[in-house]
Amino acid sequence: MNLPNYFLADLPPEATLSPMMIAAACHTLKRNREKYLLTRTTEDLVKILCEVAVEWLQPENKFRRLALELGPEQTGFSQATLARGLDAFFRRFTPENFQALLAQDLGADTDRHFWHGPGLLVHIAAGNLPNPALMSLTLGLLTRSAQFVKCASGAALLPRLFAHSIYDLDHKLGACLELAEWRGGNVALETALFAEADCVTATGSDETLLAIRSRLPAKTRFLGYGQRVSFGYVAREVLRDEDISKTVSQAADDVIAWDQNGCLSPHVFYVEERGAIESDEFAKRLAVELANRESSAPRGNVPVAEAAAIAARRSMYETLAAHRGDSKLWASQGSTAWTVVFEHETRFRFSPLNRFIYIKPVPDVAAVLPGVDEIHGKVSTVGIAATPEKLPELARQFARWGVTRICPLGQMQNPPLTWRHDGRPALGDLIIWTDCEQ
Amino acid sequence: MVDLPSPISHGRFSELALELFALQFKYNSTYRKICVARNLTPATVKAWTQIPAVPTAAFKGLELTSIPPPARTAVFHSSGTTEQQPSRHFHCAESLALYEASLIAWFLENVPADLRLICLTPPPALVPHSSLVHMFDVVRREYSLPASAFIGQLARDGSWTLDFVAADNQLKGSNNSRPPVIMLGTAFSFVHLLDYLAAKDLCFNLPEGSLVMETGGYKNRSRVLPKAELHALITERLGVPRENILCEYGMSELSSQAYDSEIHPLSSTRHPRIFHFPPWARGQIISPETGREVAEGETGIIRIIDLANVFSVAAIQTEDLGVRRGDGFELVGRAPLAEPRGCSLMNA
Repeated sequence: MNLPNYFLADLPPEATLSPMMIAAACHTLKRNREKYLLTRTTEDLVKILCEVAVEWLQPENKFRRLALELGPEQTGFSQATLARGLDAFFRRFTPENFQALLAQDLGADTDRHFWHGPGLLVHIAAGNLPNPALMSLTLGLLTRSAQFVKCASGAALLPRLFAHSIYDLDHKLGACLELAEWRGGNVALETALFAEADCVTATGSDETLLAIRSRLPAKTRFLGYGQRVSFGYVAREVLRDEDISKTVSQAADDVIAWDQNGCLSPHVFYVEERGAIESDEFAKRLAVELANRESSAPRGNVPVAEAAAIAARRSMYETLAAHRGDSKLWASQGSTAWTVVFEHETRFRFSPLNRFIYIKPVPDVAAVLPGVDEIHGKVSTVGIAATPEKLPELARQFARWGVTRICPLGQMQNPPLTWRHDGRPALGDLIIWTDCEQ
Repeated sequence: MVDLPSPISHGRFSELALELFALQFKYNSTYRKICVARNLTPATVKAWTQIPAVPTAAFKGLELTSIPPPARTAVFHSSGTTEQQPSRHFHCAESLALYEASLIAWFLENVPADLRLICLTPPPALVPHSSLVHMFDVVRREYSLPASAFIGQLARDGSWTLDFVAADNQLKGSNNSRPPVIMLGTAFSFVHLLDYLAAKDLCFNLPEGSLVMETGGYKNRSRVLPKAELHALITERLGVPRENILCEYGMSELSSQAYDSEIHPLSSTRHPRIFHFPPWARGQIISPETGREVAEGETGIIRIIDLANVFSVAAIQTEDLGVRRGDGFELVGRAPLAEPRGCSLMNA
């Protein structure tokens, strides 16, 4: 790859990191922050972030091209999936959207001298998809923090390209970022890193978060984002001839985005019965749509163990379908590329993901809530397709139950900049305020 | 000593398998429904590789047997966590006799006779639904040596533990005495034993020629050790060299087992640590993507046709991953997420 060695993650694989290197990198970051970052205005930072995004949206942009060229091999996503995901992400980077985020999390007219971000902000990124790491870096820039991203093993490509694209546009901002890659749990490196950090954010399983938190010095703040699951809900009013194509297409968007690998991707769509088009017909049409999407935006290659999980699940449903007429299976032939399972059991099922979706018919939203009881407190997003008349009441019911994000179907993997991550203000939680009482 | 099972030609195996498939299609209505749904019937299936395989998980919710309820004399359950419904493999006197004939013939082919048995499992009377313990008991009867012992016991929650006093006695009684012993157990039982020996700082030297046979996974019942590490600890604490440790691959849904024995007379011409079924059962490694057999050296799902599974279903699709190696396979592990913990998909 034609990228200069700016970051630790750019070093050749044979280079060994030492705790001393990590500590030295943190000291440099802190110095650079003092020199180059603290003086910048928020408007200036927003402007640069928007410029970076405009660059990424250009087909000829070198970082985008590298991402699409090297991504399929390194991330397991197809070019089309990467392109769709990155486009959706960077299109959110507009001055208006950043203004909305600042206004929401910090207040519209707040004097920037009365809030500050962590001196050194450390991110422990998960490896499944790149957006969260890119968003973490973005928020950290807005808080004028020096930042160190510990990428998951084998998942540094996109964060690196994003950091390089910032460096390319503004060397001084780039000098306030550091990225490195190692297998999580390397105590020597992580102890050196945590000793320098003012705040650590981490994304991962509950065990991972607990392990990280237990090793942080008392002075260091911790923001942990645990694993979440998501599902969709389709109201019967949109299951009519004039809406069905759109609804099915939106559902497919959510299944194929990042090959269903993120916390915001649906495992299940609950579909109301007694629409003009029945729920099993919706499932069948979604299967057709997923087959079409496989030609235009194919799923990436998945490890054999994940494919085996899909194959095992499919064969169970095949067997079940042979004995019970009320469950159905549609699946790609000769591959595990996509699978739709229709079953009346309303209990939530964990999908093996990689474009494997459950469709479960329900009489109404009240029938969903007992079914999702076992994932209570673990749900991120509910994507809803409903008429404007029905939507508010559905949203109220899910909110009361404890869902932290409700969005239109088709947008589940595409949260706005103002998204409160797991219900908490992602930018606001980084901030330390100075109260100045009159 | 049972006669060496003679190899069965590919053609003969296919003939027998197709004949058995036709019988099972006729007499096992649950299986027949699955075959019809897949449009695979004795009329359309022309080779043993096309015989529809039933996922092991289907044994949980469905009664995959041609033995009518009154004739069922035994049932073997899959092991696993207690909140899950286990697989059920029903037996009658005839099918049980077949299971026993199948298991002992291949066991003796892989393990020398006349070893004193120390089983790390509870005795058969305590776990009548364990096909593994039934197998150990059949071996015990075959060996007909006195002083064989089951040194496992049942905990209050039904899980298997060890009687450490009995373990101590057995090991002390075996030190450098004749005859050599064979210690049989699940991987987690060996971890329990090794942890105990480590805590007491005890090492034993089992008599020369002694063997260890470990099988099965961990099922959250002990810490998980990589196979090489487990075997190294067995060598360290029990004095059994690596080449005398063999692994068994079996499950309650089958009537035959595979071994990775290096003691086998043919093993010098085979890859090390490669599992082989007896001639009357064949394992295939299937690509989860294409559903076809993978190429040599590739990883896929293990599918087994076991001709000794006469009264249930011969073709079984496991949830285990293996690498195709010659006429055998290397075990890789279990397909993740095949069935999430705590919920059984097949509960009909």
